[in-house]
Amino acid sequence: MEEQGCPRCKTTKYRNPSLKLMVNACGHSLCESCVDLLFIKGSGVCPECGVALRRNNYRLQVFEDAGVEKEVDIRKKVLRDFNKKEEDFGSLQDYNDYLEKVETIIFNLASGVEVESTRKMIEQYKKENKEFIKKNQSKLSRDEEYLEELIDMEKQEAASRKQTTMEEETREKALKRKHKDALIDELMFSDMPANAIMATHKQTSVVTKKEEETRPPPSAAPTFSTGMRFTQQSVFNTGGQVTESKPYVFTPLELETCGPPYPDIHSIMNDGFLSNVRPSTEMELAGGFEPQVACQRALQDTFCGLYYFPPMNQPCASPNSSGSWSQGNSNSPMCVS
Amino acid sequence: MAEDSNRRYEKIEFLGEGQFATVYKARDTKTDAVVAVKKIKVGTRVEAADGINRTALREIKLLQELSHVNVIGLLDIFGQKSNVSLVFDFMETDLEIIIKDNKIILTAPHIKSYMLQTLQGLEYLHAHWILHRDMKPNNLLINDQGILKIGDFGLAKYYGSPSRPYSNQVVTRWYRCPELLFGAKQYSTGVDIWATGCIMAELLIRLPFLPGETDLDQLGRIFQVLGTPTEDDWPHVKALPDYIQFRSYPKQPLKEIFTAAGDDLLEVLDQMMALNPLKRCTATESLKMPYFSNKPHPAAGHQLPRPGSNKIVNKEQEARRAGLKRKQNSEQDRGLAKRLMF
Repeated sequence: MEEQGCPRCKTTKYRNPSLKLMVNACGHSLCESCVDLLFIKGSGVCPECGVALRRNNYRLQVFEDAGVEKEVDIRKKVLRDFNKKEEDFGSLQDYNDYLEKVETIIFNLASGVEVESTRKMIEQYKKENKEFIKKNQSKLSRDEEYLEELIDMEKQEAASRKQTTMEEETREKALKRKHKDALIDELMFSDMPANAIMATHKQTSVVTKKEEETRPPPSAAPTFSTGMRFTQQSVFNTGGQVTESKPYVFTPLELETCGPPYPDIHSIMNDGFLSNVRPSTEMELAGGFEPQVACQRALQDTFCGLYYFPPMNQPCASPNSSGSWSQGNSNSPMCVS
Repeated sequence: MAEDSNRRYEKIEFLGEGQFATVYKARDTKTDAVVAVKKIKVGTRVEAADGINRTALREIKLLQELSHVNVIGLLDIFGQKSNVSLVFDFMETDLEIIIKDNKIILTAPHIKSYMLQTLQGLEYLHAHWILHRDMKPNNLLINDQGILKIGDFGLAKYYGSPSRPYSNQVVTRWYRCPELLFGAKQYSTGVDIWATGCIMAELLIRLPFLPGETDLDQLGRIFQVLGTPTEDDWPHVKALPDYIQFRSYPKQPLKEIFTAAGDDLLEVLDQMMALNPLKRCTATESLKMPYFSNKPHPAAGHQLPRPGSNKIVNKEQEARRAGLKRKQNSEQDRGLAKRLMF
C-alpha cells in the first residue's frame, strides 16, 4: 500500500504518526503544519492547482483519496439547494429524472466538466425554486424523523438490557452467598466428616449450575437499525475461552534474605539514615539517582545472609542451591561517610 | 567434567548468531529436555582481556543467582577447550517476532499479560539491585506455554552504588530514556521502566513508538510527543553532561496517539514515560495500578498467540518446491524436451 503523506513536505504517516492531512474544496490534501505555514494570512493558493482557498475551509481528510473528499464537499453544497423529496413529484419517473439531474451536476462539478454551464444551471434552478427550497429546508424530512425514532428505540432497548443483566448479577451473587452460608453452617453443626459435606455440597452446586444453564437466555439479541443482529458468536471472536483467564491480584514480592529485617524505605528517609550518606549531586538527581537508593542497598547488603549457615555435609553450596539472596557483588556501595 | 557436559547436550539445530555468541537448540540427554546452548565466541584480544568475553561474564555472574518465572533460567555452564557455553531454558519465540507477525491479532488481554509478566520479572530484578539495561521486545523471550522471560543479560549491572560512574551508552536507542540520552552517568531503575513503556506503546501500535535515527533525533522525537522538559518538571536537568536546549514542544495527549487504548492503560503508560526519572513509577508501583487488576483480565499462557503458523506454511511450500525441482530434473534426465504449443 502506498504510504499516505503530505505532497508538499513529503512527511508520511510512518515517520510522523500524528500527521493530520487536511483537504479543501479543490480536493488536494496538505498536512496540518503546511496549512498553517501557507495560509498564515487566512487565505492563499493551493500549491498543487493554484486555486485561491481560505484557511477556514480546510478540514480533516477522512477518506484516503482526496478526490472523494472533493466530491463529498460538492455533494453537500449541491444538495442544500436540490432538496426536493419524493413526495414533491407526481410520478416516480419524474423523481428519478430529478435524481439523475442532480447526479449529473455533481459529477460535472467534481470532475471539472462544463463547469460554467453547470453553474448557470444551478443558478437558474435556484431562482426558479426559491420558495420551494426555503420551505423544504425548514421542515424535517420524514427520513430524519424515522431515524430519530429508531435511535430512541435503540436507547430504550439498551437500557432495559442493562437492567436485566444487573438483576441477573445480583441474583447470582445472592445465590452464591447462600450456598456459602449453607456450607459453613453445615460444617459447624453437622457431625458428618468435613470431606463428605464438601462432596455433597459440590454436587448440589453443580446441579444448580446446570439448572441455570438450561434456562433460556434472558434477553434476545439486540437489533440494530441497520438490521444487523449481534449475537454471542460475533465475528470478533478471536478464539480461546476468555472466561478462563484469572484476574490479577497484586502480591508484594517476597525476598528471602536469611537475615534480620532491614529498615524499609520510609524509615531510611525519616530516621536519619541519610545523614551517613553523601547527598546526591544535582547531576545524579537529574539522572534519577537518589541517595536513599544507595543507603537502602548498603543496609540490605549488610543484613542479608547473616543467619545463613551452609548445611554441614556440603560446605561449599553453590549460590543457586543455597537459595539465599544475592550478595556476591564486588562493588559494594559506600554508606559511611 | 567438561567431557561429560559436551556429551550431555545433543545439538538439534542452529538457531542464530549474535555479535558475541552462536545459539543452538539442543537436547539435554540427562533430563531429555530441550534447551538453548549459547556458545560464547572468543572474540578479539580486547574483548577477551578479562579472559572471557565481558558480556558472557555478566550473564554468568548475574543469572546464576537469580530464579524467577519471568527471568530466563541459566541451567548449566560448561567449557570446552577455550570455549565457554551457557545452557538456558529453550524459548520458542520472542516479543519482537510476535509484534511483527501481522497474522497475529493482539487483544487487550494479550497486551496486559505480556506487560504483567515483563513487569513482574523486572520487579524481581530491581529488588535484587540489577538493572537490565537492554529492555526491548527482542529480549523478551516467550516459550511454548506463553510464559515470558526476560533474557540477554549482556548489559545488565548491579545498581545503587554512587561511587562508580555507569556508561550511558546502554539500551538500544529506540528504547533509551531521556536522561541516558542527556549523558547521565548515575541512573537508576528508571532506564528499564522507560524502555518497558516504549515496549507497551509498541504492543499497541505494532510499530516502534520512537524510532530515532540518531541520538539527537531520538531526543527530538521524545519531546515532540511528551513535550520538552523544563527546569520545573525536571529539576537540575541542565546539570546533565550532554544537556542541549531543545525547541519547546507541547505535550501531546496520549489519548490522541493511542486512540484504542483505555484510560487505565494510558495512566500506566503516562507514569512509565515520565520524562523526569524521579517521577517515573517503579515496577512495583506500576503493578499496583488499577490497569492490571481491571477487566479484561490478562490472558492465560495457553491463550497467548504463537507465531508458528507461518513457519509451517513456509515449510510446506518449500517441500512442494523441492518436489517440483526433482520432477523437472527427472524429466531432463530422460532427455524429453517439452514441446510448447501455441
